[in-house]
Amino acid sequence: MSEMTNTFGHQKTMNIGFGVLIVLLYVFLMAPLVMIVGASFTESLMIEFPPQGLSFRWYFEFFNRQDLVDGLLMSLRIGAVTAIVTMSVAMMAAMAGQVIAGRLSGWFQLGMTLPLLVPELLTAVGLLFFLYKIEMAKTVLGLQMGHILMSFPYAYVSIAAAMRQVPHSLEEASQSLGANGWQTFRLVILPLVMPGLAMGGIFAFINSFDLYTISLLLKPLGGNTLPLALFDFLTYEFKPTAAAAATLSILLSIAGVALVQRLVGLQRAF
Amino acid sequence: MATVEVRDLRKRYQDFLALDGVSLKAETGQLVTLLGPSGCGKSTTLRCLAGFLEANGGEITVDGESILGTPANRRGFGVVFQNYALFPHMTVAENIGYGLKIQKLPKSEIETRVYDAMKLVRLDGLGDRLPRAISGGQQQRVALARALVLKPKLLLLDEPLANLDARLRDEVRWLIRDLQQQSGITAFYVTHDQSEAMAMSDMVAVMKAGRVAQFATPREIYQKPTERYVADFTGEANFIPCQSVTPQGEGRYAITAAGATLELEGVPGITGPAELLLRPEALSLTAPEAGTFKGTVTKSAFLGAALHCEITLPDGSMLKLAAEPNHKVRTGEVVGIAIDNSHAWLMPEVAP
Ligand SMILES: Nc1ncnc2c1ncn2[C@@H]1O[C@H](COP(=O)(O)OP(=O)(O)OP(=O)(O)O)[C@@H](O)[C@H]1O
Ligand SMILES: [Mg+2]
Repeated sequence: MSEMTNTFGHQKTMNIGFGVLIVLLYVFLMAPLVMIVGASFTESLMIEFPPQGLSFRWYFEFFNRQDLVDGLLMSLRIGAVTAIVTMSVAMMAAMAGQVIAGRLSGWFQLGMTLPLLVPELLTAVGLLFFLYKIEMAKTVLGLQMGHILMSFPYAYVSIAAAMRQVPHSLEEASQSLGANGWQTFRLVILPLVMPGLAMGGIFAFINSFDLYTISLLLKPLGGNTLPLALFDFLTYEFKPTAAAAATLSILLSIAGVALVQRLVGLQRAF
Repeated sequence: MATVEVRDLRKRYQDFLALDGVSLKAETGQLVTLLGPSGCGKSTTLRCLAGFLEANGGEITVDGESILGTPANRRGFGVVFQNYALFPHMTVAENIGYGLKIQKLPKSEIETRVYDAMKLVRLDGLGDRLPRAISGGQQQRVALARALVLKPKLLLLDEPLANLDARLRDEVRWLIRDLQQQSGITAFYVTHDQSEAMAMSDMVAVMKAGRVAQFATPREIYQKPTERYVADFTGEANFIPCQSVTPQGEGRYAITAAGATLELEGVPGITGPAELLLRPEALSLTAPEAGTFKGTVTKSAFLGAALHCEITLPDGSMLKLAAEPNHKVRTGEVVGIAIDNSHAWLMPEVAP
């Protein structure tokens, strides 16, 4: 009996210790976000925390800076195209991955996630040489290609996971009921993998929105993505405008994550 | 509606030969069962028929025409899967109406046909449910209705009852048989349950390692098996090796086995070593001098409806039989065993 209370008490201290650890972890993860978001509302001329007063002036300032707004628009556009292209290519790749059987399958999966395994800088350098060869270096299209390459694995992993959840017998059932390949895809497979597909697209978008190194090397002449524009901006001015920009990107990511949550919820519903 | 013939079908998975010359035939309206232990190639045969697998050799014809070049979606066969394979994102009615929708039939016709099909399998009122919100037995009936609503030429069922509990299994089994007979659809039915195969089939194919060991009516499979493997798979059986076999013509033989001489029918054309098949119901206990065989009771158990006895013969072989429950037997007692000759059967010894 006393032994039981003992272990119980022991477990309790352990639980408390664990709780403290988790709180510390969250503080560690959240602190930069809280600082940057807080700083964006300051009235002072410097990025500082805690903020002095409360104002939206740096948000107005941000939307009045042509270079930053151009960067935002460029990032949004590239992110959107990246999401759409990776979703469709990764969908096809995932379907191919389903058909490939045996030992080859493992290599195929590895190949599809290769851009995650090679350092971004090396990929960027390699791609830059390649783009020079085909005379597409320093173009928006070249940058776009880089983003698609770097974001593809995220979309692939998410879509392939969703695809594995669809039993092969559903495809056969559909076939036996007279449906051709396209009808089976549209009426059975696509609706079932839709949550995974959308999730893959959102991951690809968020990833593209955050890419720095590859954008730095491949960026078109006179064009900047938001992270590049922000870095340039911070090199000369250390104003809270940057904090406002960062807060905006955080909001965008949170919106993406919320959407993912909703979709995962939907997926569980099946 | 359709006569289906499978001739010398071969299928190889990488370096494993799963089908090694399977031949079968289903006449119009017949239900043919593929029976056999796990891994003998039942599903593989059915999947070749359905068009999900490409055969490596042999021929499949429907009404005399080869279908090997026809893709699965144009064969017009209904398939019922062991795991039901219902579309989880569609309601019961949408599942059943799927094939009709693919055929681009008018909405009103789809509705009436789906309604009729649901009534046929007693699913009235469940049309708006999702598959996960109905029971296993109901899911299986949806799968059945989904296949039948298209009025298929051929119905293929792969262990459709394996995931149901015993009571439901019985119910759905008879539903399948009734619907199949009413509509006169030719059907292939895969199972490894011999009683299921016996009860509902017109013809049974007992499969053995990628071949058909015997293809015959349930009665023949049970009473006149071609080899021990088939006899073993279709019910309780006793086997006694024969010392001598003398053909008497027309599938009749005179044999000596375990010290007795008898004359009986058997597989035609036996030349080598043979064994005697005695089903428990062919045997009865008598006085030691009156029986064909004489043996010692080694075990007896009262089972209510019958007395289960095991008797060892002088040559060491063992007989199991079901005696009349009030019969008095003691372990170690010497008894006589009478044989109903019409239920005895001689088979060649074949490697199992
Ligand atoms: N895709 C595959 N690749 C390799 N071997 C396979 C494949 N599918 C089946 N086999 C093998 O082929 C043989 C026949 O398989 P099949 O599924 O037809 O058996 P079955 O008679 O239906 O058995 P069960 O009663 O367990 O369903 C088995 O030995 C199996 O291991
Ligand atoms: Mg099987």
